[in-house]
Amino acid sequence: MSANPTIHTARLPDDIPFYTPNGDEVTLFELAYRNCLPILIKGPTGCGKTRFVEHMAARLKRPLYTISCHDDLSASDLVGRHLIDASGTYWMDGPLTQAVRHGGICYLDEVVEARKDTTVVLHALSDDRRILPIERTGETLSAPPEFMLVISYNPGYQHLLKGLKPSTRQRFVSLAFGFPEPAREAEIVMMESGIHQAAAKQLVVLANALRNVAEHDLEEAPGTRLIVGAAKLIASGCDPQTACRVAIVECLSDEPEITRALMVVVQAVFDR
Amino acid sequence: MEEQVGIAWHKLINHLTARNHPEAVVELSGITRDAALLFRALGGEAGLAVQAGAATRHGAKRSLLDRLAGRASKADLAWVDHEALRLPAFIDAYPATALNRDLYFWLAALCAVDPEPNQAWLIRNQAAVLAITHTYPGLAARYHRLVEAEIARRPDPRQLPPDEAQQEQAIRNALLQPGSTLSLPPTRYPPHPVLLWLRPDQATAAPGRSHPSPEQSSQTASTLQSDQKRRVAQHEELPARQGGLLLFRPESIFSWTEYAKVEHETQDNEDQNLAHAADDLDVISIARDHKSIARKLRMSLDLSAAEHNTRPLSGNSMQPEWDYRTHSLNPNQCRIHHIPMTDASPCALPEYLKRDKQRMQRQFSALQPVRLRFKGQTEGKDIDIEPYIRHVTHRSGTESRFYIDQRKRERDLSCLLLADLSLSTEAWVGEGKRIIDVIRDSLFLFSEALSVSRDRFALYGFSSKQRADIRFQTLKAFDEVYDDVVRGRIQQINPAYYTRMGAAIRQASDILGQQKSRERLLLLLTDGKPNDADHYEGRYGIEDTRKALISARQKGLRPFCVTVDQDAHEYLPHIFGKDNFIIIRKPSELPTRLPLLYAQLTR
Repeated sequence: MSANPTIHTARLPDDIPFYTPNGDEVTLFELAYRNCLPILIKGPTGCGKTRFVEHMAARLKRPLYTISCHDDLSASDLVGRHLIDASGTYWMDGPLTQAVRHGGICYLDEVVEARKDTTVVLHALSDDRRILPIERTGETLSAPPEFMLVISYNPGYQHLLKGLKPSTRQRFVSLAFGFPEPAREAEIVMMESGIHQAAAKQLVVLANALRNVAEHDLEEAPGTRLIVGAAKLIASGCDPQTACRVAIVECLSDEPEITRALMVVVQAVFDR
Repeated sequence: MEEQVGIAWHKLINHLTARNHPEAVVELSGITRDAALLFRALGGEAGLAVQAGAATRHGAKRSLLDRLAGRASKADLAWVDHEALRLPAFIDAYPATALNRDLYFWLAALCAVDPEPNQAWLIRNQAAVLAITHTYPGLAARYHRLVEAEIARRPDPRQLPPDEAQQEQAIRNALLQPGSTLSLPPTRYPPHPVLLWLRPDQATAAPGRSHPSPEQSSQTASTLQSDQKRRVAQHEELPARQGGLLLFRPESIFSWTEYAKVEHETQDNEDQNLAHAADDLDVISIARDHKSIARKLRMSLDLSAAEHNTRPLSGNSMQPEWDYRTHSLNPNQCRIHHIPMTDASPCALPEYLKRDKQRMQRQFSALQPVRLRFKGQTEGKDIDIEPYIRHVTHRSGTESRFYIDQRKRERDLSCLLLADLSLSTEAWVGEGKRIIDVIRDSLFLFSEALSVSRDRFALYGFSSKQRADIRFQTLKAFDEVYDDVVRGRIQQINPAYYTRMGAAIRQASDILGQQKSRERLLLLLTDGKPNDADHYEGRYGIEDTRKALISARQKGLRPFCVTVDQDAHEYLPHIFGKDNFIIIRKPSELPTRLPLLYAQLTR
C-alpha cells in the first residue's frame, strides 16, 4: 500500500534552519511568494535545495510539506484517499491538499521521479487559477495566497524517458543552484559539522578537485552534503583519510579503479 | 678474452655509476589512471591522455664514470603538450617504491597546477611548488620527503668546481625553500636535471610554440583559418602544375594523404605531392616524435551550391530532402542502397573486448525485467485495499478490481543504432586506433550489453556518395539474433565516402517507426557534421538533418546523438536540441561509455 506516512512531513518551524545565501535567492523567493508564483529549483545533488526551502518556510512562517518523489508516487498520494476504520470509510487529505487547505508551502523534491499523472494535478495549481480539484470527493479547493508550490529537480543526468515537460517547466519561476564559492562552502561545512577551519578548507579543496573530474570520471559531482558528512566524522575524531574514503570516495563510485584513483586525490589533500 | 674484459669492464663501470634503484622501480602503466585522475582533479585539462614521454637530453655535466659508461646523458622528466601529459615510462630514481610512486603523483600535480607557465624554468617551478604545497597539504608532506631524496641523489657541491658548486647550491636552496631563488649562477653546463621539476623550456618549446601546429588549430576556428591561409599562400608560390590537383578524384586524395608523413620542421621542403594534399586538409596532426603521423579529419570541397539540381531520382527506396532556401521538402531526392552485408564471414567477439563485455553484461543484467506489483487487477495474489475502500465508500457495485498481482514487466523499448561510416572515421584518435575502430568496438560492446537486457535493438551503418548513392548497411535488423553472423558484419565495417545524415536518419526513422514498442530510441553515432560531395554541406546539410529529426520526433521516436567531434557543440544543439546529444571527449572511451550511456538514458 503506497499511503506511506513517511513520504511527507508537515513541519511548523520554530527555529530557522541554517542557510547561507549564494546570491539573491532569498529575496527572489520572497518576491515569488508575495506574487503567488510557484518556484522551480534546479541544481546538483547536495547543493542545498532542500535546506533552502526549509529555511524559507521558516522565514515566511509557513508550515512546510515536503514530499520526496519516487517513481511509484501517484496523484492520489499527493491529493489524498479514502481510508477505512471501525466506523467505515473516511477521506484523508494528502500532503498537497493539506498544504492548500492550511496555506502552507508544498515542496516536491526530485519531481521528475514522480509518475506522469502527478504533474497534471500540479498544473491547475501552478497557473493563475490556483485550484486543486479533488476528483474522488468532487471538491475543488482554491488555494489561499499563503499557499506556495515549490518543486525541485536535478538536471544533471540526461534521461530520455524522464524529464520535465516544457508545459510544466514554464509555469514556474526558476532558481538555478550550483555549488557555493569555496570560502562560503567552508563556512557551511564548519557550521554544519563543528569542524575547525583548516580542515573545512581542506575538505572544500578536495570537493572542488573531485568536481573537476566529475564530468570525466564520475556519475555526479560530490555535493556539500557529502563533504559535511565527512566533516562530521573528522570532527568526532575519525582519521581524515578514512573519513574521506567512507563518506566521500566510496559514495561517488563503485569501481575499484576509480575509488583507488580518487584516494590519490584525497591523499594529495590530507597527509596521514 | 677481449670480450670477457669488455663485459667485466662494463659491469664494473655500471656498478660504480649505479645511482638508480631498479629494485624500487614503479612503472607508469601501473598508475596511469591514478595519475590522470589526479591531474584532472587539480585542474589539468580533461581531454589530455597520460603517456610516457621520451627521456630528455639534459646537457648537464656528467661525472667521468658516467661518461665512461656512456650513460646518464638523458633524464626522465615530465611535461604537458597539446595531446598528453608526458610522464616518465618508469621511475627508479629513489631507493623506496613509495618515493618513486609519490614522484609520479607529484609530477602529475606539477603539470596540472603550473601557475606561471611562461616564466623561466627556475621561477616557474618554484611558483608551482609553492602553489601546490600551499593548497594541498598531503602533497606538501610528500614534497618534503621527495626533496630529501632528491638532494641525496644530486652531486655533492663539495666535490664540484666552485662555479658549479654555487649553481648546485642555488638549486638546492630553491628545492628546500621554494620561491627563495631568483636566478642561477652561470656555468658552462646546465644544472644537473631536477627530477621534481618540469622539463626545462628549451626542450618543450621548439616547433610547437613558435608555430601553431594544426592540431592546436583544430581547437579554435581563428587559428584554423590562419593555418589555412598559410597553406593558400604556399599554394600560389608554387608553379602552375599545381592545377593538376583538380584532376584527382577526392577519394584518391584521401587514400594517399592518409599515409603522408608530414615533417613539421622541414615544411618548406615538403614533397610536392604532399603539398597538394596538405592544401586540401583542414586539420593535420603532426608527428612530434616521429611515431605516428599526419591524418586528415575533414575535407570540404567548394562546389557552388546554387547550381545543384533537384531533379527527382527514381528507385525502389527513396527519401526526400529539405531545402532550407526554398523552404520545401523535395520528394525522391535521395536513393538508398541497402547493403545487406551477407558476404561477411561470422566471427567471435575480439579477445580484447571480452573483459569489458563481462563487466557490461553484469551491469546490464540489472536492466532485465523485474517483478512488479500491479495494482487494481481483477485477480491476483494480494488484496489491493485502496480500490476496495473506494468501492465500499461509493457503494458502486460493479467495480471489482481489488487485487494486486505480481508480474514481470518487460521493458518495452526498441533502439536503433545508426553509425556514421563515412571516410572521416578513418582519422586516428591515438592509442593506435582510428575512429572507425572505436565505432566498431562500440557496436560490439553495445550489442553484447543489450543482448542481456532483452531490449530490442538494430544496428545500421551509413555513408553516401552524393544523393544518388546512399549506402545503408544492415548490420543487425530488429528481428535478427545477435550472434557471430552479426559480429562478422560489425567486424567488416569500413569507412567510405561522405555523411548524408538527413537521408540516413529518414531511412532509419522509417525502420524504427514500424516497431511497435512504447519507447523507440534512435541513437546516432557520428564524428562530424553532415556533409556530402555536392551541395550537401554547411547550412544545407544541417537544416536537412534537423528537418529529418523533427519528423522523426513527430513519429514518436526519440533521437539522441553521440559524437566524438569536439566542436559539435557549435552545431548539434541546433540539430538535436540542447539535451539530446553528448560529446565524448576521449573517443577511445566511447566503446565503454556508450552502453552505460544507453542504460542511463533509458533507466
